[in-house]
Amino acid sequence: MRKLLRKMRRRIKYLDGHASSLVKSNFLWMNMHINDPIKGRYVRQLAAPIFITASLMAVSSSVFAQTSSVRGKVTTESGPLERVSVTIDGQRDAVFTNANGEFEIKNSNAKQLTFSHIGYKTVTINLQNSQRNADNVYEVNVVLEPSEESLLDEVVVVGFGTQKKVNLTGAVGTISAKELEARPVQNVSQMLQGVLPGLNVSTQGVGGALNAGRSVNVRGTGTISGSSSGSPLVLIDGTAGSLDALNPQDIESISVLKDAASAAVYGSRAPFGVILVTTKKGTAGQTKINYNNNFRWNSPVLLADMMNSYEFANFWNDADYNGGGSGQKFNAALLQKIKDYVDGKLDPNDVAAIRGDGKWDYDNTWGNVDWVKEYFRESAPTQEHNLSLSGGANQWTYYLSGNYMDQQGLLRHGKDTYKRYATSGRISGKLFDNLRIEYMNRFVRTNYGRPTSMPDDFYDHVLRRARPNRAKYDPNGFLMADINYISAFEDGGRRNDEQDFNTQQFQAIYNPIKDLEITGELNYRTETQFIHEDAFKTYAYNGDGVQRYISLLSPANDYVYEYAKKMYFFNPNVYANYRKRINNHNIALMAGFQSEWNKYRDLDASRRNLITTSLPVLNLTTDATPTISGQVQEWATAGFFGRFNYDYKGKYLLEGNLRYDGTSRFRSDKQWNWFPSVSAGWNIAQEEFFEPLANNISMLKLRGSYGILGNQNTNDWYPTYQVMSNLGTGNGGWLVNGAKPNTASAPGLISTALTWEQIRNWNFGADWAILDNRLTGSFDYYLRYTDNGVGPGLVLPATLGTAVPRTNNIDIVTKGFEFSLGWNDQKGDFGYGARLNLSDNTTKVLAYNNPTNSLDTYITGQYINEIWGYQTIGIAKSNEEMNQHLASLSNGGQTAISGGAWEAGDIMYADINGDGKIDGGANTLDNSGDRAIIGNSTPRYALGLDLNARYKGFDVRMFFQGILKRDWAPSGMVFWGTTSSGEWWSTALKDHLDYFRADESHPLGQNLDSYYPRPLFSGKNQLAQTGYLLNASYVRLKNVQVGYTFNHSALQAIKVSNARIFFSGENLATFTKLNKTLDPESIGIGRQGGTVYPLSKILSFGISANF
Amino acid sequence: MQIFNLLAMTIVFSYIKKTALCSILLFSLASCNDLLDITPPSQVSPENYFNDESHLASYTIARYESVFRTIDGSGGAGLYLDDAGTDNMTNRGGNTRFLPGQWRVGASGGNWDFSTIYQLNYFLETVLPKLETKEIAGSEVNIKHYIGEAYLLRALTYFNKLREFGDFPIIKSVLPDDASALIEASKRAPRNEVARFILSDLDNAAELLMVNSPQGGRTRIIKSLAYLLKSRVALFEGTWLKYHKNTSLVPNGTNWPGQEKDYNSNYQFPSGSIDNEIAYFLDQAMASAKEVASKHALTVNSKVIKESASDPGNLYYEMFASESLNNFDEVLLWRDFDLTLGVVQYWNHYMYYGNGYGYTRQFVDNFLMENGLPIYAAGSGYQGDDFVDHVKIGRDWRLKLFMRAAGEKKAFLGLAAGASPEVEPRVPVIDGAARFQEGTGYSIKKGLSYNNDMQAIVGRDVTGVVAFRAAEAYLNYIEACYEKNGNLDSDASNYWKAIRARAGVNEDYNATIAATNMSIEGQNDWGAYSKNNLVDATLYNIRRERRAELMAEGLRYMDLIRWRAMDQLNAFKIEGIKVWGPMKDIYGNRLVYGGTTTNTVSAPSLSAYLRIHQISPNNQYFNGYSFTQAHYLSPIAANHFLISSPDGQNPSNSPIYQNPGWTTEAGSAPVGL
Repeated sequence: MRKLLRKMRRRIKYLDGHASSLVKSNFLWMNMHINDPIKGRYVRQLAAPIFITASLMAVSSSVFAQTSSVRGKVTTESGPLERVSVTIDGQRDAVFTNANGEFEIKNSNAKQLTFSHIGYKTVTINLQNSQRNADNVYEVNVVLEPSEESLLDEVVVVGFGTQKKVNLTGAVGTISAKELEARPVQNVSQMLQGVLPGLNVSTQGVGGALNAGRSVNVRGTGTISGSSSGSPLVLIDGTAGSLDALNPQDIESISVLKDAASAAVYGSRAPFGVILVTTKKGTAGQTKINYNNNFRWNSPVLLADMMNSYEFANFWNDADYNGGGSGQKFNAALLQKIKDYVDGKLDPNDVAAIRGDGKWDYDNTWGNVDWVKEYFRESAPTQEHNLSLSGGANQWTYYLSGNYMDQQGLLRHGKDTYKRYATSGRISGKLFDNLRIEYMNRFVRTNYGRPTSMPDDFYDHVLRRARPNRAKYDPNGFLMADINYISAFEDGGRRNDEQDFNTQQFQAIYNPIKDLEITGELNYRTETQFIHEDAFKTYAYNGDGVQRYISLLSPANDYVYEYAKKMYFFNPNVYANYRKRINNHNIALMAGFQSEWNKYRDLDASRRNLITTSLPVLNLTTDATPTISGQVQEWATAGFFGRFNYDYKGKYLLEGNLRYDGTSRFRSDKQWNWFPSVSAGWNIAQEEFFEPLANNISMLKLRGSYGILGNQNTNDWYPTYQVMSNLGTGNGGWLVNGAKPNTASAPGLISTALTWEQIRNWNFGADWAILDNRLTGSFDYYLRYTDNGVGPGLVLPATLGTAVPRTNNIDIVTKGFEFSLGWNDQKGDFGYGARLNLSDNTTKVLAYNNPTNSLDTYITGQYINEIWGYQTIGIAKSNEEMNQHLASLSNGGQTAISGGAWEAGDIMYADINGDGKIDGGANTLDNSGDRAIIGNSTPRYALGLDLNARYKGFDVRMFFQGILKRDWAPSGMVFWGTTSSGEWWSTALKDHLDYFRADESHPLGQNLDSYYPRPLFSGKNQLAQTGYLLNASYVRLKNVQVGYTFNHSALQAIKVSNARIFFSGENLATFTKLNKTLDPESIGIGRQGGTVYPLSKILSFGISANF
Repeated sequence: MQIFNLLAMTIVFSYIKKTALCSILLFSLASCNDLLDITPPSQVSPENYFNDESHLASYTIARYESVFRTIDGSGGAGLYLDDAGTDNMTNRGGNTRFLPGQWRVGASGGNWDFSTIYQLNYFLETVLPKLETKEIAGSEVNIKHYIGEAYLLRALTYFNKLREFGDFPIIKSVLPDDASALIEASKRAPRNEVARFILSDLDNAAELLMVNSPQGGRTRIIKSLAYLLKSRVALFEGTWLKYHKNTSLVPNGTNWPGQEKDYNSNYQFPSGSIDNEIAYFLDQAMASAKEVASKHALTVNSKVIKESASDPGNLYYEMFASESLNNFDEVLLWRDFDLTLGVVQYWNHYMYYGNGYGYTRQFVDNFLMENGLPIYAAGSGYQGDDFVDHVKIGRDWRLKLFMRAAGEKKAFLGLAAGASPEVEPRVPVIDGAARFQEGTGYSIKKGLSYNNDMQAIVGRDVTGVVAFRAAEAYLNYIEACYEKNGNLDSDASNYWKAIRARAGVNEDYNATIAATNMSIEGQNDWGAYSKNNLVDATLYNIRRERRAELMAEGLRYMDLIRWRAMDQLNAFKIEGIKVWGPMKDIYGNRLVYGGTTTNTVSAPSLSAYLRIHQISPNNQYFNGYSFTQAHYLSPIAANHFLISSPDGQNPSNSPIYQNPGWTTEAGSAPVGL
């Protein structure tokens, strides 16, 4: 939709005399003859046409009168065009052309006519400049040229070239910059979530932290070894790069190569898909300047709601007592104090007592703080500015851009910040008639800062250590620094992680003869990372308010730490494209060579005891003994590749790819491998017999592909070498002569037979465009076999004494589909559209050597991520009910799960194998006890739904993203509260209050109908089971945008050619069945089943102006 | 397709050849293989290691932490608490080994694990040939010393397996990752063979080790440690065979499960009979214990409880409470800690206020008076236990030194200016919250530093921890001698006197023996029993000496199982201080019982003493400790039978047999034993 808007604006510009070009791709030239009979001026002609020739003719007469009629005909290259909307003076109502492309408007005061049709560039004709015929009728004949992404002519970037989308035979998805526009998020991978079916983006690590990357995969699980990567290859302008180190606004388009046929030219680097990012280029003509900005406010999507301290203390006491303890985690006197404090009966400062040694008794305070809300604030600002300049003349074009983003994190104390500075410059042009060159430089700096004392496990600590009864300030008004991180965050030093990504690309394109084009590319990227970390001791105060000491959460020493890493990536590509048309036969050949060489070295050092904390510099410490380390690592690949395309009249399409690839990851006898692929397509709509339907169905294509790829992306860069692992310098824990000794351990075993994982990929697809291209869509079904996958070695008897080496011993298949359906229509000024993406995949183990069929590892015939669990009967409401249940289990009751007392409030599990006891059997497939497969945690049915509309200057967009099916068996403290890891790995959230309480006089009230079983510092009620199998599906309103584009005349005075203001919101609503302990996007990540930095809800506004 | 494609490539290549670019391509072709041959640039291959003395030292030291029990990882208290879950020490919890039916066969994992053994086998297998061919740079005695360390480490690793499982596979080399070889290697050697293997490793170690380590002083292994361990292992096995003789827990005993397997069914003792084996081990124990006892004197006890910086010190106490233990000849191995290096322990922090733990009344009552008499003996001078400080009057100095009592000043160094040390309250805090609870009321003081810095904040404790000390060799000799010969030779007598003298107890052990009433001792001390019978008074007093001398050093359970001292256990109630004596008036309304979550103390109707497991009606151990014979050995986790069985399905096809009484089914409790 937005594309259309842009086009309309461009057209306005054209009429104003500002010539513009729509040329976007280096490989795409178009010829544009624009004749204006009035001015008689030949506007512009661009370089030699190859693919697209289009022309626009605007013929009109030149007499002007008050009332007149207009009639005319709209045609295209291929004849008259029906249903073209013709609007008058920008009004809502429109007339449409008939089957012959003709229209007529009678007795109007029309001054301006706008012609629009999906798939064609919109044209506006100014009648004032036209002439009437003798009958006082304007005769306006318009030739519409296809718009750049006209379905039939849309060109997509594929490996080492471009291809018309209509001729694609592989599975390729594309995204244009406009679909990513004005998303108020930090980086590209966040923007890609849900946008394209089959491209899955999910949170990872610690969730929403400012430096947290996103996990990206194409079509689900590719490898389950854990020792190789199943991530797609990301190529930015043809060379490997990182999506997170890219100014999102430099992106022109993104292609995702999903099947082996389209990825095969990248061979062993791309077994699990390729994300091809193409960045913007300059276009010849007057300089265009774009400035846009974005101001946003982040707030947590979901913050855990903590119990108050009185609820917490009772909960804890109950958990202790239920487990056979005394129920006095907080004894009666303390409990009363806590209650009084919560009830406001105590002075706000009366929160702690002094213990014998003069310190505050921080274990037994009676404050009341919601620490999650204390540590995370409700709103954090971010601003982003982007400026780009482009233009060109005399066969040279340029594009320059700069981007600045300053993002503040949600941390309330001792800020976390993320900044990005990006510049890029590209210049391209002709040296000779047959030689074009291009040089590009892209620089991105990211800067992530946080308190030194906030490591990843902070998110655990917030929930587990920051108990509600702990106070923020002691009665003297000093921070209770032994039990809160505030002073350690604010005064304990900072860590700053600065990364520079510097990419230089040089490209030469040489046309020695007609139809042959040879491209040489030298890509060189360096990445430098500097981490500076300083830590300062922070202090806590004794009860007397005078004496202070180094607090418990303080760094133990002042120190300064520096880390430096430099990565070099060198990538030469040479390839030649040859295209020939012989009658109706189109042939294209491509062949080339590619090599990649990657190396890095790093160095780190730290020293203790700063001379002054104001100068945390390595040189300025009183302790001269440094800790230093460093390393060098490298890998390389080389590959020869070729592609062959053939089509007959665009009807029958055939493509073949072959790559011969070598990698440093394997030894010379296994270093090289062949990877072939073939694909074919049939454009049914081009057939003669289809002509009667051609008016309604402009495209219908069937396609299929098959290919074999290898995976060289092993996590270990030297997987075939046995090395002395764990050689440690000064890292031993058993001190010798008062120092940490060096340590060494035996090398791990290496499988001598380790070799490539082989990926076989089938893809069947269909694309269609019907109802005048208003309804478009595609469907793909695929099978991706990973043969000889690297998997956990066969479990061997313990007498081996070391880890079984991984070998090529597992075969899996991933099956799935992708479906995409779009509707786009324009009625005069009102346009609207919708696009639905739906994709799914499942992965099944086809073969794995697990002779015991142990459930601990993969089993032949099983789907991955299956959840084995017990059948829940329910929570026993009384001891009698539990005893009755246990009595029915004559052969041991539930004692195999836990020998402790089973009482009211505990789970009654069902004896599904009827053996009179509840147990997990031998934990094998054949004897799984009372467990069965109760669900699967694979995210299924990934949804993306984009709804948009625009009217005159206004535009609206809503984008939903979701996972429609996912089971989750929760574990850990976030969902359960108390855990088997004991009181120090448990937490207490409001949701947990709905726990079983049999006692009528319980301080928190009786609760027999509880959701949670009685709390215990035991896992016996928390086994994976049907009763607590969560439905983790969700739909999230990822983005809402409302924009208004000012029309040109309003802006002329301030020399702005157009401007858009917008409001954009991210993660504004979530539809899920999970309770408030879990965010559907952060389950399964974090350390304790969801201890993560909260994801952000974002409100933003900004402006985009072109000059 | 491929042919077509190649054809296409050929055409294209023919064009490319005409261009300048071909040189780049040719260059690439030629150099491709060079480019791709990358060896790990920052990692050492095994061929390039073990070429220098220092490599050997790095390798063995990396095993220390896992082999030598000192502290638990972050937050734990380590070996000092290993005696909790015996009759010596407890908190309100316990150990399920005293609740027959609650200790169950694991599903997988457990200590049927060979990882440390693998590490040491790899070392010996790689280094010994290099020693032979003199490929290792450095001093030969030092090189041999580190090889000796590896032998000792392997021996101690095996001893831990012996204690837990008895019969165990003896693996001396690195095995291939081949299932059949590994199944074959899973065969369990009879326990006495395991013990003999350990002794042979220790003989190798003793031969190779230097009297003083090349570096690190006593923080590294020395020759005497090999002898100490040898005496421990030999005494363990000798007494185990003696007291478990004829049961299924010894080779060729009744229903010994080894008989079910072909490879063990015709087992013959190398010495001809079990009695010869017992004698062999006891002889070995005596000989090696003497090697240590004759060379290492006991640290002197100045009989002072230091309560301020100006007080004279007491080296015996300070042996457990100093940052450096290098000057204690009695200490054969200790572990050093350092705050700036971040290598710390946690004992002081947790024990300063008790953390719920304490000595049992049964243990405290077991200590002799200074005059050598048991407390119940006529004329003992015992002052009763109405208050904790009364208990210590006239008692064995080990009780005086290593247990806290009312009025004693706690950590007095490292206090803020003007602050005075805390004083142990008149009555123990048995009703405090968590960390501030003194458990039984008899609080542990062994290992507590004088320095307040170590206690105040978690993670600041750098008090050295004793891993092994020579006093154990004295005790081993005495016991081995009496078990072997039925009397005490002059060495044994001297050693015993030395220990008693150091403890501040009358050296005349015969006076004690004469005054010992075994039926009274049997009420307090599980070690008064073997095979469900009370032992003779001499042997009992040898065991009493061991209990007192090694208090809180983590060896109690090892002794109890080798003595077979828990057959008689049946609903044994652990007790603490006499809370319902005169102390109750001081506690006043702090003593609450009869409720559920508000109780602070057990009911007076149960006992005048604090029944720590009977405070909460919900306590698992409310009915006391019991035992069953199968518990003397640990079960092997069920999964090991499956993965070592050729078909992966039937546990009985595995060469591994389960320990007596246990089944091969995960989650099952022992039956019939």
